[in-house]
Amino acid sequence: MWRTEAVVQAVLLSVVPFVLIGPLDLMDVPWWAWVLWAAFLAAYVVVVPSWRYLVHRWEVTDTAVYTQTGWWARERRIAPMSRIQTVDHVEGALARLFGLATVTVTTASAAGALGIAGLDKDVARRLVDELTMKADAVEGDAT
Amino acid sequence: MTELARDAEWQRLDPRMLLVHPIREVLRFLPVIVVVVLGSTAAGGEQWQLIGVGIPVALGLMRYLTTSFRISGGRIELRRGLLNRHVLSTPVDRVRTVDLTSSPIHRLLGLTKVQIGTGTASSSDEDRVDLDGLPLDRARALRAELLETSTADDELASAEATDTEVLAFDPAWLRYAPLTGSGVVIGAAALGAASQLLQSVGFWERFDLDNLDVPGVSLGVLVPLLVLAGLVVVSLLSVGGYAVSNWGFRLTRNRAAATWHLTRGLFTTRETTVDDERVAGVNLSEPLGLRLAGGARLSAIVTGLSSSQRGSATLVPPAPRAVVERVAVEVLDTSVPVAAPLVGHGPRAARRRWTRALLPVLGVAAAFVLVVVSGGPTWLLLGLLALPLAAFLARDRTRSLGHALLAGHLVARSGSLVRRRRILDVDHVIGWNLRATWLQRRAGLTTLVATTAGGNQAVVVLDVPEDEAVRVAHRALPQLVEQFRS
Repeated sequence: MWRTEAVVQAVLLSVVPFVLIGPLDLMDVPWWAWVLWAAFLAAYVVVVPSWRYLVHRWEVTDTAVYTQTGWWARERRIAPMSRIQTVDHVEGALARLFGLATVTVTTASAAGALGIAGLDKDVARRLVDELTMKADAVEGDAT
Repeated sequence: MTELARDAEWQRLDPRMLLVHPIREVLRFLPVIVVVVLGSTAAGGEQWQLIGVGIPVALGLMRYLTTSFRISGGRIELRRGLLNRHVLSTPVDRVRTVDLTSSPIHRLLGLTKVQIGTGTASSSDEDRVDLDGLPLDRARALRAELLETSTADDELASAEATDTEVLAFDPAWLRYAPLTGSGVVIGAAALGAASQLLQSVGFWERFDLDNLDVPGVSLGVLVPLLVLAGLVVVSLLSVGGYAVSNWGFRLTRNRAAATWHLTRGLFTTRETTVDDERVAGVNLSEPLGLRLAGGARLSAIVTGLSSSQRGSATLVPPAPRAVVERVAVEVLDTSVPVAAPLVGHGPRAARRRWTRALLPVLGVAAAFVLVVVSGGPTWLLLGLLALPLAAFLARDRTRSLGHALLAGHLVARSGSLVRRRRILDVDHVIGWNLRATWLQRRAGLTTLVATTAGGNQAVVVLDVPEDEAVRVAHRALPQLVEQFRS
């Protein structure tokens, strides 16, 4: 899924310079700049998705949720079960093509949302149920 | 009969708002009205003038007739709107803060606007619980009872106790006003407006350096003089701004009801009451100017209040550091996190500060030198002055970097232009984010973020050594991090 997203991003990124430079004479930009740009995009498409995939981990225990995401900037997030406010199950257009889903766990803090992307749909469904049950079992108003 | 009992039935707002609304609507539509009046006088149509004033008055009347509220069954309900009927309902025990704001018109009529803060994430005006226009005594009673209900489990709450004054405004603090960022912004904005005004009357077109025939004063004297005058004007304006918003600042604490109570304002008075349980921590910030003058300011991190409602969270306006620290100690109920020295972040974090401050500046400086060498004007070399400035910044940023875990509070300090010391009660930490870019990982550093439900939603500990970050997180919430250590 990330690879497809990266391809889409790359296509967008290769369109942008045309739009920006379009009004100008195309010959103004030296050919090697285009080559560099293309090489950069190709590398982005090839490397970054697998990088993301390797970094992305998640774990759910009885008392907390833990995720690790990112590629250049790697972020690990921990949220205790008692502070979970909502559990979202999102299937984007691309994700549905692959039968995948994203589970997002939000807490009372705007800085504390945990996303687990690219889960198999059934796994995601079961995870949502599990999280909802566990979060429900804990007392308190989660602030 | 208590205020809550009275409000169990649907209540209108105070009828005196019939005076306030039209005046305010007329003021808001003033440009339109002026145009209409001028236009109709020219065209000779008297009826247009009446309509121009009539519409705002009708709007005000309509708003009064369609707005009503009640508090019953543990819920606050607010009904408003004629075409779009809007019913807002919120549980009483979710009330975090109660603000009373009175504009000069309100004060004249003895009214006030009650804003009930429920910690909603929605920023839309429609979703706020505002009761605009209640008599002052009713509003105060309502506030007391609302906050009492929301902390009902507190045994002490029933006992009526007197407020102890923690802080009272001192006019001497006005001297800090020009040193804060906002003061300067206010002043600059006023200067900009004045310049626009001058432009619109054609001042700058007629303004010409050669025409300045001030006898016996050369340009070399005049320019510094003008700059000085500008500074004085900006300072005066910022002092004015400070006085308008903070005059009569008073912070009191009611131990029995466990609330903090804050009053301020010269023309528009504001009263805020914050439930003690909701105070997650404090944020002691020192902008560079203020820090040099030995001042600081303090705001509270209040659960359910986001940073956009910062006005409600101010605890101390710019004031001497000693005063600020005293209040911080009072709020936290412990002096350890405020005064104790912090743990530095080590040489690798320091090196990161230096490279981050110097590299861009070095690049720019090199570009300047290149330009000068290739025949540019020599005064560009002044750009090199940025280097020592950057070095100073890096040094200062390194020095202010620090963190600690003291007496159940997480303390983090960083920044140079605005140095902030954030103190957060560990009980209010919702979760941990550990964030590291590739460069940070190479240096073995990580940025530890404690998320919380108030203020900026997070307390950031910048560039801590990796193992130290995990150790701090672990010590703060032992049972949480343990299971993921590997």
